[in-house]
Amino acid sequence: MSDDVRFARVIDAQPEAVFAAFTEQHGQEAFYGDDEPGWIVESECDLRVGGLWSVTFGYSRDELHRHDHVFRVIDRPSRLVVDTTESRADGSSLEFEIEFIFEERDGKTLMTMMQRGLPTAELREEHRSGMPNAFARLERVIVG
Amino acid sequence: VQYNATLDRTFFALSDPTRRGILARLGRGSATLGELAEPFGLTINGVKKHVGILEEVDLVVTAKVGRARECQLGPAQLEDATEWIDDYRRTWQGRLDRFGSYVEKDAGR
Repeated sequence: MSDDVRFARVIDAQPEAVFAAFTEQHGQEAFYGDDEPGWIVESECDLRVGGLWSVTFGYSRDELHRHDHVFRVIDRPSRLVVDTTESRADGSSLEFEIEFIFEERDGKTLMTMMQRGLPTAELREEHRSGMPNAFARLERVIVG
Repeated sequence: VQYNATLDRTFFALSDPTRRGILARLGRGSATLGELAEPFGLTINGVKKHVGILEEVDLVVTAKVGRARECQLGPAQLEDATEWIDDYRRTWQGRLDRFGSYVEKDAGR
């Protein structure tokens, strides 16, 4: 059993188009967007290994969250790996790795995100060890 | 996604394998500090430190029984932690879906 937290979606476009959109400003701002009126999202991206992709987003200038992604792997148009630091409005932060995979599927793209290093792995281990509490829901939540 | 200090402390408390072992042990019934210390090869002071961290977030409660201090699982049901994970998943899946819709609309022009 993997410790990854995994998300996936089939997108009706070729991997090159999906990869291109994901690595330019408008696509990144769509990724971090929200329908709420007044939602703020700003993305700046230096697409090279070691380069920084920085996104700020939130409901107001006073309470912005920030994701700083540093590119570790750029394999166009099939794979990206970033080290992410999530800085929250309360001043705390969370660090994890994200791998984005773009696979061709019948003319479309299966885009998969895998996140590693989150505390969810610790929680799932608790579940495996049989701790008798609300962890029963976690397997479902994490494995999806 | 909402964050709070208690949640951070709960994740911290659970991040240590010894503390998870203590919780698993207490899941089978209450134990004194001495009974908890022995299987983990800890001193009383060592186990007291771990139990203190678990006690801060209500994962464990302790009570003096005679000359010993007895520990048992606390009232924390970790609903905050599971809710955080639910929110976390919804947020990231929402980002992926939103981006997918953006690309599909853009490609269709």
